[in-house]
Amino acid sequence: MTTATLDVQHVSKVYGDGETQVRAVQDVSLTVGPGEIVLIMGPSGSGKTTLLSMLGALLRPTEGRISLNGEDLTAAGEGRLPGIRLRHFGFIFQDFNLLSALSALENVAIVAQLAGLRNGAARTKAAGVLEALGLGKRLNFLPEKLSGGEKQRVAIARALVNDPALILADEPTANLDSKIGHEIMQVLRRIAKEQGRSVVIVSHDQRIKDIADRVLWLEDGRFKELVTMAEDPVCRMAVERENGISAMWDGDTYYFCSRGCRAEFLENPAEFAHPKRP
Amino acid sequence: MLRLAIRNLFQSRARLVITAGGVALSLLLILTLDAIFQGVERQVSAYIDQSGADVFVAQQGVRNMHMASSSLPAAALGQVEAVPGVGSVTPILYVTNVVSIGDSRNVAYVIGLPDGAQAGGPARTVAGRGLPRPGEAIIDRSIALKAGVGLGDEVKILGRAFTVAGLTTGMVNLVSSVAFISMEDFRQARAGSDAVSFLLVRARDGVPPADLAARIEDQVGGVTAQTTAEFAAGERRVIRDMSTDLLAIMNLVGMLIGLAVMALTTYTASLGRRAEYGVLKALGARNADLRLTVVFQAMLSVALGFTAGLALTFLLAALVPLTGANLLLLVKSDSLVKVGVISLVIAGASAVLPVVQIGRLDPAQVFRGGLGR
Repeated sequence: MTTATLDVQHVSKVYGDGETQVRAVQDVSLTVGPGEIVLIMGPSGSGKTTLLSMLGALLRPTEGRISLNGEDLTAAGEGRLPGIRLRHFGFIFQDFNLLSALSALENVAIVAQLAGLRNGAARTKAAGVLEALGLGKRLNFLPEKLSGGEKQRVAIARALVNDPALILADEPTANLDSKIGHEIMQVLRRIAKEQGRSVVIVSHDQRIKDIADRVLWLEDGRFKELVTMAEDPVCRMAVERENGISAMWDGDTYYFCSRGCRAEFLENPAEFAHPKRP
Repeated sequence: MLRLAIRNLFQSRARLVITAGGVALSLLLILTLDAIFQGVERQVSAYIDQSGADVFVAQQGVRNMHMASSSLPAAALGQVEAVPGVGSVTPILYVTNVVSIGDSRNVAYVIGLPDGAQAGGPARTVAGRGLPRPGEAIIDRSIALKAGVGLGDEVKILGRAFTVAGLTTGMVNLVSSVAFISMEDFRQARAGSDAVSFLLVRARDGVPPADLAARIEDQVGGVTAQTTAEFAAGERRVIRDMSTDLLAIMNLVGMLIGLAVMALTTYTASLGRRAEYGVLKALGARNADLRLTVVFQAMLSVALGFTAGLALTFLLAALVPLTGANLLLLVKSDSLVKVGVISLVIAGASAVLPVVQIGRLDPAQVFRGGLGR
């Protein structure tokens, strides 16, 4: 896998024309670095889905430029886009969107095959990714036999099997209960932090803020507010810097989810300060 | 992607049964009709094939028996006998009539045979006499069984009563059988004319039938002489010519039924998978990959239908004779090729609409829930 930087410059998307014209996304700029988790939130109809579709090379912007590691995706021909999506992007959907006739293993392997791997190699690779996600005993299960969390992990495995640099997730926890949703969030976090992949999530789920490095608020097609996240050094929760409880130690500022964590930190800062997050 | 096509196909068993079953039944219709006509073609020339003659001599211009009439003057017998290479000549009288047994009326080729006929008589006699004497008739066993008569019972042929003196097999077809009476009885029934219908010629050893036929035509005026094979082929051609239009119509009907079933099921199957194809497209599958999946799935359905249709046809061909019907179902390789081609056309045509729709599928809809989930 190669790490990637996604660069979005002054992107707009206009549907229709004349009086029926709708500007779904207006002059949006964004950069997502390697290993970064960006959460895009906003009310319904704010343009989140349109933006996500453009980021994933599923939809061409009306204006602006989207590039991945310097390669201009907006200039790529129609014929190249499927290959770009296949190799550079991993998609995770709210409804899992697994192929109902295929087993968990086959759901993942088929994407590797589409990228050019032979059947045997694709199945081996798919099995490896599924096992890494704790689904080693569910390889031959059809989606209907899997729980919601397992289905989403299969979908994550499918998104990872071609080693994409960028994962795009649309409401990945929406159809999951709180516990399973938390597990999925942690999986996404590991993907970003341990594997260096960039993750862009569109969600209404406030809990995802906990794992996001940045939270962007999209409203009427524009980013309204930028919220920078930091990690609580005690409980490892993600917290908003602007609204977080903070403390200074050794020249750095640390942010906490609660006064309790702050107090615990201050009792023995050296124990919690490493590794520290900027 | 081919695995996906197979899994998709077998996941919905009911749909698979409807698809393959519909195709099977439509192909069964085509195959069975073909097999019936092939069988009729073979059966219709059974008398000629088994006549024992090498050459059939008929009135000039007459090239078959079915729906034809031939009349040769009595003098033609001696003229043909005089042709070098002729071993023997058997004159026969022939007319299409009915064998009446009680209330049962059976269409039959009625053959009038001379005493000691060396050709043109029953090929396989299963009971009674091999050649009829005056007042006697030899009829097909299946006709006798159906009417409940046997040796010694009475039947009516050409308006006269005859005693059943022999039973034959192997000369019956879907619509008619062959009944033999003496030439004397035949002449009396036909107002005593001494004309004959055909002369059945046996060649001397070593004389090719084709050469002999040509020689007869050269040396005897007013006749058409053909080898038995040519004469039988002419007989079959008449049936084929009569059935070509019917077969073409029924083939078209069968194909349209198969196409309708396949098109509907392929369309609904791909419509049901629309969301999944959209997901695959979003993930990076090319249109060609998805189209291949749909076409392969249609091909596979048709292949299953073809196999089932073929199996049903062979089963029918084996079962029909057990019912006692005078019907032979003959499945020939050219019928299989034809039905194979029709199957390919059905599969290809049924996949057209889904293939077009897949091409128009917008992968961006996958994030909007607009793919039919």
